[in-house]
Amino acid sequence: MKVKHLKKWKNELITCTMCGYCKNVCPTFLDIGWDSGSARGRNVLAYGMLTEELEPDEVAALRLYQCTLCLDCLRRCPSKVNVPEIVEAARADIVDAGLATAAQKEMIDTVKQAGNIYGTSETRVPPQEGDITLFLGCQYLERPNQVKVILNVFNKLGIKPKIFEEVCCGVPFRNLGFFEDLEKHKEKFLASLPTRELVTFCPTCTLFLKEEYDLPITHATEIVAEKLSGANPKKLNIRKLDIKATYHDPCHLGRGIEVHEAPRKILEAIGITVKEMPLNKTTTRCCGGGGVMLISDAPLAGMVAKKRIEQAAATGVQELTTSCANCVGTLRTAAQASGESGSRMKVRDIWYWLWQALK
Amino acid sequence: MKPEVIKELNEIFGEDRCKTNPSDVYVYGFDAGIHRSMPDAVVRPMNVQEVQKLVLLANKHKVPIIPRGAGTALCGHSVPIDGGIVVDMQGMNKIKEIKVTDLYCVVEPGVVCDHLNAALKPYKFFIPGPASSEAATLGGMMACNASGAKAAKYGATRDYVLGCEAVLPTGEIVHLGGRCLKNASGYQLDRLLVGSEGTLGVVTEIILKVAPLPAKKAAVVPYFDTLRQAGEVVAKIIAEPILPSQLEIMSQTCIQAVNKATGMCLQECAAILLIELDGHPAAVIDEVKVVRRICEELGALDIDYTEDESRIAELWKGRKQMIPSLSSLKEEYATVMLADDMAVPMSKVPDALEAFQEISDRYDIIIPSYGHAADGNLHTKVLMDPTNPDHWKQAEKAVTEVFEAVLRLGGTITGEHGVGITKAPYLFIERSEAIGALKAIKRALDPNNIMNPHKIQEWEEGFVTHLRYPVEAS
Repeated sequence: MKVKHLKKWKNELITCTMCGYCKNVCPTFLDIGWDSGSARGRNVLAYGMLTEELEPDEVAALRLYQCTLCLDCLRRCPSKVNVPEIVEAARADIVDAGLATAAQKEMIDTVKQAGNIYGTSETRVPPQEGDITLFLGCQYLERPNQVKVILNVFNKLGIKPKIFEEVCCGVPFRNLGFFEDLEKHKEKFLASLPTRELVTFCPTCTLFLKEEYDLPITHATEIVAEKLSGANPKKLNIRKLDIKATYHDPCHLGRGIEVHEAPRKILEAIGITVKEMPLNKTTTRCCGGGGVMLISDAPLAGMVAKKRIEQAAATGVQELTTSCANCVGTLRTAAQASGESGSRMKVRDIWYWLWQALK
Repeated sequence: MKPEVIKELNEIFGEDRCKTNPSDVYVYGFDAGIHRSMPDAVVRPMNVQEVQKLVLLANKHKVPIIPRGAGTALCGHSVPIDGGIVVDMQGMNKIKEIKVTDLYCVVEPGVVCDHLNAALKPYKFFIPGPASSEAATLGGMMACNASGAKAAKYGATRDYVLGCEAVLPTGEIVHLGGRCLKNASGYQLDRLLVGSEGTLGVVTEIILKVAPLPAKKAAVVPYFDTLRQAGEVVAKIIAEPILPSQLEIMSQTCIQAVNKATGMCLQECAAILLIELDGHPAAVIDEVKVVRRICEELGALDIDYTEDESRIAELWKGRKQMIPSLSSLKEEYATVMLADDMAVPMSKVPDALEAFQEISDRYDIIIPSYGHAADGNLHTKVLMDPTNPDHWKQAEKAVTEVFEAVLRLGGTITGEHGVGITKAPYLFIERSEAIGALKAIKRALDPNNIMNPHKIQEWEEGFVTHLRYPVEAS
């Protein structure tokens, strides 16, 4: 089969020296074990498809979709071979070969029809006018109670946010390799925006909006951290929580756009002492839920998440906090499934703690 | 591969640890060198009994088996030339014992070198590893007799292997060497397996000596106008005598590549040395003074110095990333693993570097030079368009001249990467009188020639073959 999307990556695939530095940072390789389930292995699969030595099949598709797109291979690669984008291009060729799974196609159909990943067009959060425009993203809109918490925090900080009827940013199309659908969807998304300047929450949306649309994005933790840094704690009536927690940097926030100080400043301001995991900030380890993994291989996502919970438990704390609804979901599920030691780890969004300190 | 072989493999390993589908298997046709060739199956043993059953099966059906670690070797060692069964040893990755009071540890072959060092660190011990230590497995290091920048002071993998458990090519499980630092009980067969590149058996457990971590480190980084000046400094430091824990040389092309790929800000000049001294704090300070004086006397343009552990680690990180860094130096050119690790007597380092530069200029191809100057182990790579057949023709001629120059200087075609396929044609020049003995050893231990066939002295072609690159027709 002649590939279409991988062609542009020919030079990178040849440039890859196969040094293997990406192997041991690849979160899924550690659980899959086979080289074909590593970052380097996925490069080789893409190379085989490009050179037509390898006819894509269900196994190649599975291995390529088992990547969480966590970007750690790209960080570690001295040749700067962009494995995550190569994987996405290979997935696009897998889609063209008719090898996408029913679950993957169903998700794409859902976003095409409903404009979001949760599949209903009803308004989850009523639109409102305000001074800054929030882009909550499907992961948060899917959890309206969390959005209420976020809005409470903003109100308390004296920030009036604008809410609008959101359309999915389109990242599932790219992550899953439905490139042609993405091009069509982009028009719909752009038409939905009341402004280009957005305040975002979901790390993956944040990275995608910057990269794909070149939009001037600010992550919400940056706004809040700035607000708290100049604030009088007494005036805001901030309650110091006096707890110890570890902070999990979401890959696309901590590594993708290197927003890792703002969440820590917030936690410090509300009295949470962060006990760092060794893999933090740009070297953070994936929660397992990236790359739409929960659709492609949920058990593998659970195994990756379990390892992260173990790393959190090794810090000696029993609270893990993060800035991503998807990470919260994946890690919480793993913690609850991890038996006695893991189940003691409470996984909560940073917005939960903010509201506990401000309410 | 015959269906009955696959059936028997599934009986040994189960379907979970035996793959024959084209996609999983395809990935195991490559290592970090220039060659590729597809296996028929890949298996992941978890213990020595499974390895033994596999070897007996391979003998029964006369099927090649190719042991493999992380697949980071650079000369095609684990590329299955005749197909067959790749034995992925990464699943056997337990650190079984650490006993620093007896100066040894016991590991399975799939343990990654850096993982072992992380486990040894609390005990204040380590083993020296190659630049690829974050990926390379100890089994692979043993198979290639790998070493790295610390070899002059701390030795190569062969100096750390006290013993091993292995399955011989005819299926016997043997325990060689032992837990003692000294052992003179007959032929040193454990040493024979070191550097045998998977052609004489499958190692299933390794007993390794451990070395104490030094109390202090310092780094001196002098910059030079010429490669020869840098080489002369190396010779003078060694003659002092001072034995640095690491002493690396980098040519201008390498400096540019590392700066570009890593964002490091090394000064651009003809050559730099990265000199690391370690040991007792007082001794390190004294040695630093002497090294700085030598660098100044021999005309260093500038000298950086640091005792800061994180800065030292940063310097070595840049050096460790040399090979992939070179690949991003020039668009549409790639780092091609050719003439990658010759060694010469230390005093011949300047002559070798000048010879490489002259060959590079004459063939109009880029041959950057760097390496472990304190043990005379020099690395070059060829930067070229590997899809262009004309580049291969030029590279083949240049590489041949590089090896000829090295042998003229009393050196060897490989200091630490091994022979595999890529360097095999030149082994016949370096070891011409010993080839018969090497072949006899192989035949004696592996009468059915099932264990990683066609490697080292068994290779019968040139090296521009079985290429992993899509070479376009000229």
